[in-house]
Amino acid sequence: MSDVLLQAENVGIRFGGLQALEGLNLTVRDRELCCIIGPNGAGKSTFLNLLTGTLRPTSGSVRFLGHDIAGLPLHRIARLGIARKFQIPSVFPSLSVEDNLKVARWGTSSPVRPVGELLDLVALGSRAATLAGELAHGQKQWLEIGMALAIEPRLLLLDEPTAGMTPQETLATAQMLLRLKGEFSIVAVEHDIRFVRALNCETLVLHQGRRLRSGPFHDIEADEMVRDVYLGRR
Amino acid sequence: MIARDRNWLLIFAVCAALAVVYPFIADGYQLTVIRDALIFGLFAASLDFFWGRTGILCFGHAAFFGIGGYIMALVTLNDAIPLGSLLGILGAIAGAAFVAAIIGYFLFFGGIRGSYFTIVTLAMGVICQQAAVSWSSVTGGDSGLIGIPPIAFDLGEIHVDLSQDLPSYIFVASIVAVVVLVLWSLSRGRWGAVLTAIQDNEVRAAALGHNAPLRLLVTFVLSAAIAGLAGALYVCMAGLVAPDLSGLLLSTEVIVWVAVGGRGTLLGPVLGAIAIQRAQQTISSFNPSLWPLLLGCVFVVIVFVLPDGILSIYARLKSLFKGRRQAQ
Repeated sequence: MSDVLLQAENVGIRFGGLQALEGLNLTVRDRELCCIIGPNGAGKSTFLNLLTGTLRPTSGSVRFLGHDIAGLPLHRIARLGIARKFQIPSVFPSLSVEDNLKVARWGTSSPVRPVGELLDLVALGSRAATLAGELAHGQKQWLEIGMALAIEPRLLLLDEPTAGMTPQETLATAQMLLRLKGEFSIVAVEHDIRFVRALNCETLVLHQGRRLRSGPFHDIEADEMVRDVYLGRR
Repeated sequence: MIARDRNWLLIFAVCAALAVVYPFIADGYQLTVIRDALIFGLFAASLDFFWGRTGILCFGHAAFFGIGGYIMALVTLNDAIPLGSLLGILGAIAGAAFVAAIIGYFLFFGGIRGSYFTIVTLAMGVICQQAAVSWSSVTGGDSGLIGIPPIAFDLGEIHVDLSQDLPSYIFVASIVAVVVLVLWSLSRGRWGAVLTAIQDNEVRAAALGHNAPLRLLVTFVLSAAIAGLAGALYVCMAGLVAPDLSGLLLSTEVIVWVAVGGRGTLLGPVLGAIAIQRAQQTISSFNPSLWPLLLGCVFVVIVFVLPDGILSIYARLKSLFKGRRQAQ
């Protein structure tokens, strides 16, 4: 279909004798928001690395706007319109918050959002001149989201965007993403169920490198098997 | 303009003023000593532009200085080549840049960074020095090439002749000033900010759309080209070129000049090179064997007392006085 942005078909990857992922499918449409959840070691970050072209699948294919992106250099993947937030906050600690966003904007040939708007969007307007290395953990996470937004992506991939955040910061991050919903597609890999519940979107559950369930979050949350292997019973 | 840039420009202006006044108070010999030290300063600034901006240490930077020197010598010693000095300078710049482009391409696009890059460039320096010794039919072997004429060329109505001390001093000082200013402008602008980002986190910079290997390669090539220019100027002033000019000792010395002057400051390495050259000549005139020992001591003291180099003295004094004023 014409509105398909990212399509992973029957994707698998093997590291030596370990089959880390097998037979995974994911279709992300234009301006869609979806989450990938699962217990530790389920293969969420590995799957994200396949979706961003960082890892090459040993079976299946990952296509973005029809292009096979496996093995492409990172900068070319970014220029195709895929932005990524890493699991560990990856900012430029020697540069100020404002310069971090400027450097991010220079990565694309046609930045649209001014730096001031990006600062407001990630609630760092008052910290513009602060060195990024001096920010609190949660603020670094927001700054990195701001940097990803600066390249005007078609698809934003977030690897545990709320890791290490306080409950208030987690909620603020979810609200931020909901405000951005509809501007571009977002795929978030997350552990924090409160965050996923707040987003309330299409969700893929991974378990031991395979798809366990997929569907709207309220169906996922009610699913017996998902509750057994991941969410737990109340 | 931020305070750091204002301080840099102030120090640059003071240095430029001293460079203008110096010919009025120095004799011919002193002028040539400072002129040669300025050339080494240009060489140090070239290394600093790469090392200071990218955090990647090139341990064979003298290879580019030597390549520039040999190309300049071969071109100017060949009477058949018209505009010898001018073509020699351009050839030296292009030759050093070409070698850096070839080596840098495989290293940067091959993902070689950090200590691996340093080791490979160290080997490159050793190979260049050995090539200069072994390829004696071209390079003159161990003895090198002598009788290299001073820079002289005609450009239309303009006649450039640097056989005298004062014109050669003015020419070298002007080139150093212009190159340092251009490198500083590049460093504080968009190019410098992206290089700082790559130094901080190359994967993050690439994930934002920056072609990090290409940026590093261009910076390396530019740095090598300036080192080649410095080599070309030096051999014309000294009148000879020898394998030592691309050797490990000079590669080590230039690292010391940058570290003593202040890595990442561009102006500091120039001052570091001048200070150490002057000290070397003064101390060696008393006792030649004393210099290596003193150089080692100076380096250790600088690393402990002024880890950001001698250029940080100004900022330290400024913050000291500011602190005292606030205490009163």
